[in-house]
Amino acid sequence: MLRFISIRLLQSIPVLFVIYTITFFMVKMAPGGPFSDERKVAQHIIDQQNAYYGYDAPTSVQFFKILYQHITLDLPPLTSFPGLTAADIISESLPVSIELGLLAIIFALIIGIPAGIIASAKQNSILDHGPMSVSMLGICLPTFVIGPLLSLVFALWLGWFNSSGWFSWSDRILPALTLGLYYAAYIARMTRGGMLEVLNADYIRTARAKGNSETTIVLKHALRGGIMPVVSFLGPALAGLISGSFVVETLYQIPGLGRHFIQAAVNRDHFLILSTVLLYATLIIIANLVVDVVQVLLNPKLKYD
Amino acid sequence: MPIRLSPSIESSPKLAPKSLWNDAWYRLKSNVLAMFGLAFFVFVTLLSYIAPPFYPYSPEEQNNELGATPPFAQAIELRYDQEQVEADETIKVKEFLEVYASAPDQELTKIQQGEHLDIDGLYFKLSDETHVLGTDTRGRDLFARILQGGQISLGVGFLATFVALVIGIAYGAIAGYVGGRTDAFMMRAVDILYALPFLIFVILLMVVFEGFKYDILLIFIAIGAVEWLTMARIVRGQVVHLRSQDFVLAAKSMGVGTFSILWRHIAPNILGPVIVYATLLIPAVMLLESTLSFLGLGIRPPNASWGTLIKEGAELMQVYPWLLIVPAAFFSLTLFSMNFLGDGLRDALDVKSSKD
Repeated sequence: MLRFISIRLLQSIPVLFVIYTITFFMVKMAPGGPFSDERKVAQHIIDQQNAYYGYDAPTSVQFFKILYQHITLDLPPLTSFPGLTAADIISESLPVSIELGLLAIIFALIIGIPAGIIASAKQNSILDHGPMSVSMLGICLPTFVIGPLLSLVFALWLGWFNSSGWFSWSDRILPALTLGLYYAAYIARMTRGGMLEVLNADYIRTARAKGNSETTIVLKHALRGGIMPVVSFLGPALAGLISGSFVVETLYQIPGLGRHFIQAAVNRDHFLILSTVLLYATLIIIANLVVDVVQVLLNPKLKYD
Repeated sequence: MPIRLSPSIESSPKLAPKSLWNDAWYRLKSNVLAMFGLAFFVFVTLLSYIAPPFYPYSPEEQNNELGATPPFAQAIELRYDQEQVEADETIKVKEFLEVYASAPDQELTKIQQGEHLDIDGLYFKLSDETHVLGTDTRGRDLFARILQGGQISLGVGFLATFVALVIGIAYGAIAGYVGGRTDAFMMRAVDILYALPFLIFVILLMVVFEGFKYDILLIFIAIGAVEWLTMARIVRGQVVHLRSQDFVLAAKSMGVGTFSILWRHIAPNILGPVIVYATLLIPAVMLLESTLSFLGLGIRPPNASWGTLIKEGAELMQVYPWLLIVPAAFFSLTLFSMNFLGDGLRDALDVKSSKD
């Protein structure tokens, strides 16, 4: 297992390098630099800024300098937040995004897995068709439609929550719900599919023949195998959660990293864009690795390869 | 015991031969949800592209007097001179009640019954102008704007899907047909790309080419360039499977060229999965486009897509909820119908899902 993890970590180095290279040249190609302003700025001030942020160096020098700064985690000062580095922005906003993402995924698991288990145990009954139709809704409705509708109904009409902000625990509910609904729906469908496959297996028949109760069979024998698709889904789900957080954080004005990324892209803050993209890529690589390890732990038949 | 044929077979002496496509169509027809999806999708597409010239209001025409009226709201024509043909102003019922009416309820009832009313030398009459889905804050007709937005949203959906199809099919076909190390390398690249958060790269692409004149063109190229991965995998899997089939070997042994084999023998066999995934890709692409537009990075004014309409509606939902609900309903129903149609086609053409 250690060998597997270290090989995967080594493989991720060229991947991160390629991502860095693509992102670097994309932001360099973009028209308008971080200092383009509607007001006229004196040339000597622009020159000074260019020199301070290292924009006067040749592109190749900038490429390796910024790469080195990211490897040593000694990040350059940002152009859109003078005096701060990407580390300051990330350490402030990443916890917010992580909290939002975790709440959303916990909510999705709490709703999705039981719904899927019940639907598979009572196949073709109302307990199956009802939740599965609702989950189709959850999959089709995009986040930016669900979000405004939820806040229209629960924040503005019913007045139960605030429509934006990130202060009290009740401010967490609507954003987490908005972000998690799609995953709840998806997880419910995957749990149902996985459970149905397992419930027809021979060892379940054996368990029934031994006279176990149906609850024991479903929860103790079938669940472990039936949950596998959900586990492998959680890795790719992180990429989706990141994209979703862009929308949800914009929608509810949450001070998370997603909003900073969008702002950085709009403000042409090259350093913040690069640092954020690299952080997101690292998170996704780690999540995929963790998921692969957990899958083998759950199912010893799989081997690390 | 004599074998009895079912009456339907006995009564029809000659059975027409059924092709795979006849069969698939037959199966699709029995799927209510998929047929609903097909009907709704055709309806929305035709409506968006054909209806605008026949609809009395244009999406650009502004009328600040009639800003933000709810669906089916009535308007009142105001004339300074009774003989005049053109109305001098068209005002909202609310304005009439607050500013002009002396006995609001009775006068409004009279106007609604079609009477011409004379109040202090001003002539009032019920206007024929009805905005079925209301107007936005600048008094533009919401239905006309939704039709215009539909043209762009659906157009981006079709074209970006086409771009993704072309890239994905070419990539997958080459990887699958060449095989060996090339295949392994090409598919490993796809695996790596799969793990990346695409929205980030689409956002970067949008920023790189900001201010580019043909921003719509750019959007579907950007989206098409990131949505081809699944298609490449599917096509590659099919090609690998078909390549070793006897009929391809037979064609090869008779000296048929590579291109001919791909085009004449392999292409028809991957048509089914390609159609199914293209159908499912269109809503995915439309979703991506509207997400970008919602974040303010996609379609820019004066163009509008359903995403930008929803964005505008979400900003004003507290005061004018229909500006959010109506475009959101159009968009969601279209996504539903495409997803149902795609699922139905998958069952009808018996394509194995790569996901579940």
